[in-house]
Parts: sequence; structure tokens; C-alpha cells
Amino acid sequence: MGIIMGMTWKEMLRKRVMVLTLLMTLIFLLAFWFVASSLGKHGIPEGRWGMGNSELLIAKFTNGTIILTLGFFFGSFVLAFLAIFSSFSAIAGEAEQGVLQALLPRPLPRWKWYLGRWLGFIMLGLGYALLLYVAIMLITKFHAAIPMDPTAWILSFLLFASAVPMLVTVSMLGSGWFSALGNGVFMTMLYGAGWLGGMIEKLSISIGLEPEIMNSLKNMTGVISLLMPVDGMQRKMLSELFNLKELGGVVSLQTAAFGINSFANVPSGTFVMYGAGYTIVAFLLGLWIFGRKDL
Amino acid sequence: MSVAAIETQGLSKTYDNGRGCQNVTITVGKGEAFGFLGPNGAGKSTFVKMLVGLISPTSGSASLMGQRIGTLEAKSLIGYLPELYRYQEWLTGQEVVKLHARLSRVESSSIERRVREVLEEVGIGIRSRDKVKHYSKGMQQRLGLACALVADPAIVFLDEPSSAMDPIGRSEVRSILKRLKDQGKTIFLNSHLLEDVEMLCDRMALLNNGVILRHGSVSEVLHKRMSWLFKVGGYSPFLLSWLEERTGLVIKAAIDVKRDANTFSPAQAEDSSVVWLEAELDSEEQVGWLNSLIMEQGMTLYEVSRKKERLEEWFVNALSGLNHRGER
Repeated sequence: MGIIMGMTWKEMLRKRVMVLTLLMTLIFLLAFWFVASSLGKHGIPEGRWGMGNSELLIAKFTNGTIILTLGFFFGSFVLAFLAIFSSFSAIAGEAEQGVLQALLPRPLPRWKWYLGRWLGFIMLGLGYALLLYVAIMLITKFHAAIPMDPTAWILSFLLFASAVPMLVTVSMLGSGWFSALGNGVFMTMLYGAGWLGGMIEKLSISIGLEPEIMNSLKNMTGVISLLMPVDGMQRKMLSELFNLKELGGVVSLQTAAFGINSFANVPSGTFVMYGAGYTIVAFLLGLWIFGRKDL
Repeated sequence: MSVAAIETQGLSKTYDNGRGCQNVTITVGKGEAFGFLGPNGAGKSTFVKMLVGLISPTSGSASLMGQRIGTLEAKSLIGYLPELYRYQEWLTGQEVVKLHARLSRVESSSIERRVREVLEEVGIGIRSRDKVKHYSKGMQQRLGLACALVADPAIVFLDEPSSAMDPIGRSEVRSILKRLKDQGKTIFLNSHLLEDVEMLCDRMALLNNGVILRHGSVSEVLHKRMSWLFKVGGYSPFLLSWLEERTGLVIKAAIDVKRDANTFSPAQAEDSSVVWLEAELDSEEQVGWLNSLIMEQGMTLYEVSRKKERLEEWFVNALSGLNHRGER
């Protein structure tokens, strides 16, 4: 299994997936630095003239929240696409090329190959998620303020990074079923649907729709979130990071400044449990399908 | 009682489209070279893939040295060169073989040496540090052979092992296979090349539409006399009938013959300075006898060669009059 995991890392490095991702991330972080620098000045007069300490803190915290929301909005996209595109052809692509046909007659149980590949993708993805998370937090801290609660950091990081195992698992499951190209399309559409569902939900709240329309939209977006829970997990992540319950209205996160990224309708703890169960079931199903697959 | 290297009992695989292979029962002894011949789509690769654990049989059973197919014990006995051979193109040739060695649990202290040996043996030693993406098809096939042999397997499954190689490569592969056979390895050879099977294999089976039509020793299965070609000068039709009367053989004559394509057209030959004669002979002694008769009649003998029979033609002959179950 360790051999397969090492091979996966080597593949990601040799195919320059990680190098390109890191290069593009660097460009994003540079742009993010300037965005954060501009937004960090919002509502704070030059020389902080006429502002009390608490007012300044609240202004900085509000700005920090806006910056973090923007940063993680992009960050979750990059992370999701890295997870999808690194693994969507893991089985189908290698089987179509004939690479698997040479490897699997070796005395290696199929579950070990599958787990080795899965762990390889996951560990790289989690490493990248940590890097991105820390960079976004540090840049925001430099230009505004961030919540200083290590528990909130850990919880929110785990929720942010949960996109990696979730998407890699579903992607590998699809790869055992569909062709490589078909699975790429399937995964992009599935993730896109999940993202769109979350967007519709946020939008419907921010524009204040009638209760009837709201209910039917909620049912639809609920089903979409169950099919692809990644977007819901990202919303939960921001809520944990900002510790919404504790803020107690000190900072208004429903203001127009947040627009479609408002914090109404945060998924519950049960939804997080559902997300974990979803990943475990998808993993076991993928393992079962791969174990029986004719190559 | 000695356990067979490969033993199958009614092994079948039926795909959704109804193809695959049906009820295949064969036994291959240890150290034996077994040829599996058949036209495209006959089910040869399906059969081998079942034996190496890539696909699960619909019914029947099979074992390798007494170990049920698909188990780790069975897999640890085999080396396999697939028909569709592709290797991680972002690795070097050396790294690919090393990966296969590690997966095959070759002792870590001897991996480097073993990898170097097999790469030399298949003829890519000098380019072993190049990335696989820079390899030609023939080179990749050689690499596949190195992967199949790196763990020094007891049974080697080769699915069209020289299909992408040039004549030199084919000849080198034949030498490697011959050497493996001499080392006592069991070889299972899937091939379109009748020559390879004839040259290497002790026994063979003919598969068509997923069903074994014949199996046994190579001569039994091929069930044919060899055709020989004689290029002669000073020919006349009278001499042809004389030769036929004298030898009791059916002899055909033609002005020109493309031996590889088998376009022998007997009706064309008339009085001419140089013609080709074709006769089916039982042994090489008969060749010598016919040579002397030709020269006795004042004809000049320029060349004698065995006619290469293409598998397609042999199949047409072998399968003519048989239904899809191989019954006449």
C-alpha cells in the first residue's frame, strides 16, 4: 500500500499537477493580498481618527470576516478542483490505457491498491488545504482581524479540508463506474450542482422571497446538498470559524456587505455527520465495485 | 502426484454482448510451453485475463500450481505481459520495473541487481533511465517483458509478446522465450504468429468464438503437411506431370509467387525459363528426393524454401467445414 501511495505522490509531482497548482495558488495569494489590503481599510478612517478601541476592533473584525469569506470562497473552489482532477481518472483512465492490467496481476490485494491511491490523493490534498488555509488566515490577519480561537481554527480547517476526502472518494467511486472522460464530466457537474444549490439558497435568503417560493427552493436545494454536501460543509466551516453563536450580534453578518455570502441558514451538526457518512459509504461502495471490476 | 502448472475446468466468461470464452478445459504441465492460437476476438485474451486474476470467470474453475486463480498465492507465481501494454509514462523504464519488483515482493537487497539484469536481457539497458513516454511501442513491449520476468516467475503469461516489434526484436524475444523454457519455466503464449508457436511450444490449443476447437501437440493440432517451394529453371508442363506421376504428389506451378502473401496461382505457368513449384511434403527427406528428381530431369534448382503459411489462411483451412462449436 505504501508503494502505491508513494507512486501516487510521484505521479502528482512528475505530472506537475502540484507544481502548477502551487504556482496558481501563489498568483491567487498575491491578488488576495491586494484585495485584503483594500478591504482592510473599509470603515476605518485615516489615522483612525474619532474611533474608539472597541469600534476599531469591530470594524477590523467585520472587514476580516469579509476578507476571509472571499478568500475561502475561492479557496474551496481550488481545493475542490484539485481533489476532482487529481483522482477522476484513477481507475478508468489507467484501465483504458492498460496500466492497471500490468499492475494488478501482481500479488497485491485490490483493496490495498485502492486504499493506497486514495490515501495518496487525500494526503496531498490535505497538505495543500492546510497551506491554503494558513495563507488565507495570515494575509487576513495582516490586513484586518481574524477570530483568535484555536478550537475554531481546528474545527473550521477540518470542515474546509473535508472537501478533499469527500470529492476524492466520490471521484474514485465514479472512476470505477464510468469512463475517465465521463467521470470528469460527472464530477464537475455534481460539484457544480452542489455549489449552485448553495448559491440558490443564499440568494433566496438575501433577496427575501415569499415563504411559498422559499419553501420549494429549500426543498430543492436540500436534495442537491444531500447529493453533494461539499458546499454545505464550506458554509458550516465559515460559521465555525466566525463562531456565529458567540458573536451574539456584535458583528452583523447579514449585512449587504456579505451579499450572497450571507450567513443565514448554516447547516446543522447532523449535516456534518451526514457528510462523514456519505464519504464512508462512497468509499466502501467504490472499494466493492473496484474489487469486482473486470479489467 | 505432480500438480499441473495450469489447470482449468470448464472455465467460462460471458460478456453482456454474448462473447467471451466458453467451457475451456486445459492442462499445462510444469516446464511446458503452451501456445494459444486463435483469430481476433476468439477469446484468447479473456482466457488469459481470467488466469491472471484480472477478470472473474462466469463459471468453471482454474488453478495455477494448485492455487486457485485470483488469489495472492496464485498471483505470486506469475509474470504477465498484457496485450494492451502501457506503463506509467512519467516513470523511467528502470523505475517501472523496480515498481513491479517491489509489488512482486522481490527481496529488497536484490532488487537493483535483478532490475538491471532483466533490463539488459530485454535489450533496454542503455535506455533504462529514459522516461517511458520517450519509448517506442516496441521498447514498451520489451519493458513489459522485463516487468513480467523481474520476479523470476514460475509461470509466464505472454499475450502477443512481439506484436509491436521489428524482425530483430521478434527474434530476440524468441531467444528469451527459448531461454526461459530451457530454465524450466512454464510458458503460456497467446499469439497470432503460427511460427512462434511452432518454434517454441510443445502443445497448443486452437480457439475460435470462445470455444477450443482442437488441442494437443503442435503437429496434432496443426494437422498438416508442410508446403515447400522450389524455384526451378528449364521448366515445361510435361515435366510437372512427370514429377506428379513419379512422386504421387500434387505439385502446383506458377510463374511468380509472393510467398508471404500466399498468392500462388498455378494456372499461370507454361513453358518458361523460371517457375515456382509448390508441393506438400511429409518430411525433409522428401524435399531432398524431390530436389534430385528435378535435377534428374535437367531442370536447374535455384532455391528451396518452406512456404510461410499465414495464420489467417491456416485458420480458413482449419476452420473450414466446422460450425461454431467445432463440429463438422
